[in-house]
Amino acid sequence: MRIGIDIGGTFTDLVAIDRDGGVRTVKTPSTPQDYAIGIARGLHDLLGAEVTAIDELLHATTIGSNTILEHKIAKTALITTLGFRDVLEIRDLRMPRLYDINWTKPEPLVPRHLRFEVAERMRPDGSVSIALDDASVAAAIDALEAHGVQSVAICLLHSYANPAHEVAVAQAVRARLATIAISLSHEILPEIKEYPRTSTTVVNAAIQPVVRAYLHSLRTRLDEIGVAAPVRLMQSNGGLASARHAGDYPAQIVESGPAAGVVGAAVLATRLGEAQVITFDMGGTTAKAGLVEHGQVMRAEAMEVGGGVMAGARLLVGGGYMLKLPAIDLAEVGAGGGSICRIDPGGAPKVGPQSAGADPGPVCYGRGGTQPTITDCNVALGYLDPAGLAGGSLRLDRDAAWACIDEHLARPMRLSVPEAARGMLTIAAATMMRAIRSVSVERGRDIRSCAMMAFGGNGPLFAASIARELGIARVIIPPMPGLFSAFGLLLADTEHHVSRSFRTRVDTASVSALERLVREMRDTGAGRLAADGFASARQRMQFTAMARYVGQSSEIPVPLGDLSAAAMLHALPDAFGAAHAKTYGFRAPPGELVEMTSLALLARGLADTPRLPDSMTPPPGAEESVRDVWYPGTGWVATPVICRAGLQKTPRAGPLIIGEYDATCLVPPGSTARRCDFGTIVLALTQE
Amino acid sequence: MQELSADPDPITAELFRNAIVALGDEMALTIYRAAYSGVLKNIMDYSTAICDARGRLVAQGLSLPGHLASIPQALQACLRHFGDDIAPGDILIMNDPYEGGMHLPDIFIFRPFFAEGENRALAWATTVCHHTDVGGRVPGSNASDSTEIFAEGLRIPPLKFHDAGVPNATLIRIIERNVRLPARVMGDLRAQLAACEIAVRGLEDLQRRHGPALLRRLLDETMDHSERLTRHCLSLLADGEATFTDWIDDDQIDAGVPIKLVCTVRKSGDRMVFDWTGSSPQVKGAINNTWSYTAGASYCAAKCVLAINMANNDGVFRAIEVIAPPGTITNALPPAACAARGLTGFRAADCAFGALAQLYPQLVFAASDGGNTGITIGGIDANRAPFIYVDFLSGAWGGRPTRDGLDGNTNMFANMASFSIEVIEAENPLEVLDYEMVPDTGGPGLYRGGVSLRRTWRMLATEGILQVRSDRATHRPYGLQGGGPGAPSHNCLNPGANQQDLAAKLTMTLREGQVFRHDLPGAGGWGDPLARPLDAVAQDLLAGKVTPQGALRDYGVVVRADGTPDEAASLARRAAERRQRPPTPSPAWHPLDGRGV
Repeated sequence: MRIGIDIGGTFTDLVAIDRDGGVRTVKTPSTPQDYAIGIARGLHDLLGAEVTAIDELLHATTIGSNTILEHKIAKTALITTLGFRDVLEIRDLRMPRLYDINWTKPEPLVPRHLRFEVAERMRPDGSVSIALDDASVAAAIDALEAHGVQSVAICLLHSYANPAHEVAVAQAVRARLATIAISLSHEILPEIKEYPRTSTTVVNAAIQPVVRAYLHSLRTRLDEIGVAAPVRLMQSNGGLASARHAGDYPAQIVESGPAAGVVGAAVLATRLGEAQVITFDMGGTTAKAGLVEHGQVMRAEAMEVGGGVMAGARLLVGGGYMLKLPAIDLAEVGAGGGSICRIDPGGAPKVGPQSAGADPGPVCYGRGGTQPTITDCNVALGYLDPAGLAGGSLRLDRDAAWACIDEHLARPMRLSVPEAARGMLTIAAATMMRAIRSVSVERGRDIRSCAMMAFGGNGPLFAASIARELGIARVIIPPMPGLFSAFGLLLADTEHHVSRSFRTRVDTASVSALERLVREMRDTGAGRLAADGFASARQRMQFTAMARYVGQSSEIPVPLGDLSAAAMLHALPDAFGAAHAKTYGFRAPPGELVEMTSLALLARGLADTPRLPDSMTPPPGAEESVRDVWYPGTGWVATPVICRAGLQKTPRAGPLIIGEYDATCLVPPGSTARRCDFGTIVLALTQE
Repeated sequence: MQELSADPDPITAELFRNAIVALGDEMALTIYRAAYSGVLKNIMDYSTAICDARGRLVAQGLSLPGHLASIPQALQACLRHFGDDIAPGDILIMNDPYEGGMHLPDIFIFRPFFAEGENRALAWATTVCHHTDVGGRVPGSNASDSTEIFAEGLRIPPLKFHDAGVPNATLIRIIERNVRLPARVMGDLRAQLAACEIAVRGLEDLQRRHGPALLRRLLDETMDHSERLTRHCLSLLADGEATFTDWIDDDQIDAGVPIKLVCTVRKSGDRMVFDWTGSSPQVKGAINNTWSYTAGASYCAAKCVLAINMANNDGVFRAIEVIAPPGTITNALPPAACAARGLTGFRAADCAFGALAQLYPQLVFAASDGGNTGITIGGIDANRAPFIYVDFLSGAWGGRPTRDGLDGNTNMFANMASFSIEVIEAENPLEVLDYEMVPDTGGPGLYRGGVSLRRTWRMLATEGILQVRSDRATHRPYGLQGGGPGAPSHNCLNPGANQQDLAAKLTMTLREGQVFRHDLPGAGGWGDPLARPLDAVAQDLLAGKVTPQGALRDYGVVVRADGTPDEAASLARRAAERRQRPPTPSPAWHPLDGRGV
């Protein structure tokens, strides 16, 4: 039996799948003081004495990002080259908001008095300009000791070209301070550009003691309850890694929850034969969109943690802490069930980005919320069952929602309550469409040929109307949409990403130098996979070069597969031209020089059994019932409400509502729904 | 006669606003992705927008503050020039500062959108990009010591870049022959065309959905909504009038002669006026503003005091008037040179903030670092290959009404990224010796101004030419409400015991082994420094942003041997100082040292 566990701020989701495809799920309150307690409780609730039968435990956690957001980091120091201790604080100077004199940079994770300098200097070619000064190293270590530092990041200039000085400093620190955690920049990100490398190394150092302590606590609790299975963690890049690796490189697991859902969607899409899928994950405060092509997730080269949601403005950076590590590329907007609806002083209706959150929550929760939210609009229109969410554990006050919408929205706009509520949902949908467009249309993809996979607590409710607006003909609702990240964990593979700076013009590149680099990277990737238990027959290597035309200022990735160094150099100019044409719509005339700046390796460990069972039977649900629901054009219509098990393979015409434990799916008039393989629901939309 | 349409309902209007603003952003993203030049990527020195048939701005993509007013000016100049002679397939181009442009490197591309069956443009897709080079005396076309626009590069009047779908081959050959990096300029122009294509496709979708008549109404309503919001925010502010004077050290031609900027803000009811009457006549050096750049600085300052950051469009302009007298440095007449007018834009923003600060002391920060310092080092490396290194440094915000100014952040009037030291060293025969904050340089205040950033370079090639455009060496960033000015900027050769101090603006030869150091100005402080809590001073001491000597001099804080404030001694010292300099917060300041008087 395998278990997927996704920890969120409020709930911990667990999904268990046994060898026959039997699936069990549970949602249990998270325990922020020690999340391992909630996990042990959830495992007990889900499996009882059967916990000993667990073979593998796959885990996504927000502990990395929460540690930073809540500033619960370890006491962390930085050792860097003389003259450059402010690189971390100066950052790249950019700000995410204009015209706001109160904007404040995130506090550096290492304060200035804990940033120590050592005298030394490497040149960009890796030669030593100034030898490492032992006295300055000793002084820095004295300071680490005096301040009681728990974790230290070591980042020296040009260490990507020659790490000798970083290694020497680390040895000196280790010799005197046996228990301090050490993060080395040339191990975490051996690439040129001092700010991204320093920032990434510092994030790693700042969260490492907290993440290690958590992983240790988790292991202890699991041992106590008789679970001997290994724990693997989801990384931001969509691959799984061993708990040991996650403890060494915690910066790689910072965005693990959202990644798991997209990976699950990618596997499911492949099995369903869908070539291009847009993932749409809508929860209580935000909605996220991603793109899956031919089973491959799209990755961004860098991300910011703690920067908040930047709606549709991916050019504005600087709001959070920079991590230059591959992460699944998601566009996020601040629209969710809790988003507040209001009329601005110019008379325009607006949705979000302010959210009522979980507390007080929407007006219909009856916990003191006074401003109408998206969930209130859904209740007023009959889309959500007033009898309750999460299997009836939370009743919704429809009258309160109605009155509030009437007062704050309908009357000011001179519209009826259903018209106003529906209007706000349409505006929210427009905001979410921007996220979807930014991962598809803005990358030159024809959205009409994509399918949409909708999950998250609110995804299945909005999916049909958004898809229709975008010209998408097919929507897939996966099993367990409200716990889909936990489910997605069960479908992921083990992956390691390795990258190195390698700056050279392709026509004059040294084959032997590239050969050495490829061999070293391959050894690193293979070593990490072997440590995770993958023999060489189950290892797959995939190289990608970052390249550009000489004279261009930014690079694009060029996939090179598993080629030899000589073959890479031979293939690169043409492969780059093709990638350039796909991204920008044109390529330079033949003969334009190409240069590469770095090489990345994706080392994947293949599982020995299929991750997705062939069939999954949805749990039985309530009997079919009927509820009045409002649609534009038709007004109130008595609409059948069924459970997923009540849906057949033959399409059933909307209007229809499919109610589940963790989500509600709306099948509007003019569309159909049917059960499909692997327990999915497929909606077919006719265009108006 | 155009068909009339009923008023759109509020939901439809909001959905349209969303769509049209998203379209402006999508254009901006297209340029970002497709552009060749680093100026566009790192500094994002470009703008995109949708305008209506009359050339009024409806929606602007993400943009530099300096571009806030430029696109409608330039498009309206083109519309005046071409009148009805605009047909499907036409694409217009221009860069002339004296026809609505800003400086020659900024090339505008405009493409009309026609509704089905109509023969007059319904709307315009518009872009402006700062190009790497447009010819003229110096690489980059950015010299601050040119004295006529004729020295600054290729000047393009309103012309058709494409005529009914056919590229203007004559013009393209002229451009290619007159710029230093034709492939990069043409590549960036292609990016502008791609952005216009995206916009036209988006407008076609909107037209199919709404029809031309309602589309026109929705464009109007988008501007009207911004106007209502702007007037609402303005009406929340007190009425009044205030004048402020700030200075540029000199224009490098008339060295040592300060240049005056005067801004009067008049706020009454739901409108605001920025009046630049009294500013210096236009100058010989290339730092003259066109109207639109002065307006950009005015709007930038205004947007910072308004409660809502509304979408930028013609509705905002209707409520905020900008008066810049022709023939002054705020609205130069031909043939004034203007390539390096960036400096004047920064100072105009400082000046407009200074005027607003007197009306709204709780909404405005003290002067920031005065804007970017431009550094260029060019020459021949060891392999006889030419190199050119261009860098822009900035980094300190003035003290704010509720908190300290930022240390190490882009100026509000720009949103520029810094260059990586490792990349500088990998690509140029230069060694960077430090990049760090300088203590005791932030203007003292209840809320301290941001500290100076320092960068130092050693020349590794045999020799090269160093050009520096900096300012605020004699006219320091002002403090507000009793706060002190920031430290002046400083340039020097071979720092140390025998260092040679240099002028703020210079062109000189840098030889192998020589070291050049630039200190940016520190930013001004806000409020009485003697009122700064000891805790805050203690934090600055711990961080090394204030030294014990600085704490005593600027804050009346006595520091113990362990580096922490001595509370009793400090309170006594402050009381004594207070008797000598009573805390009379005043927004006025003395032009020569920037200190509140």
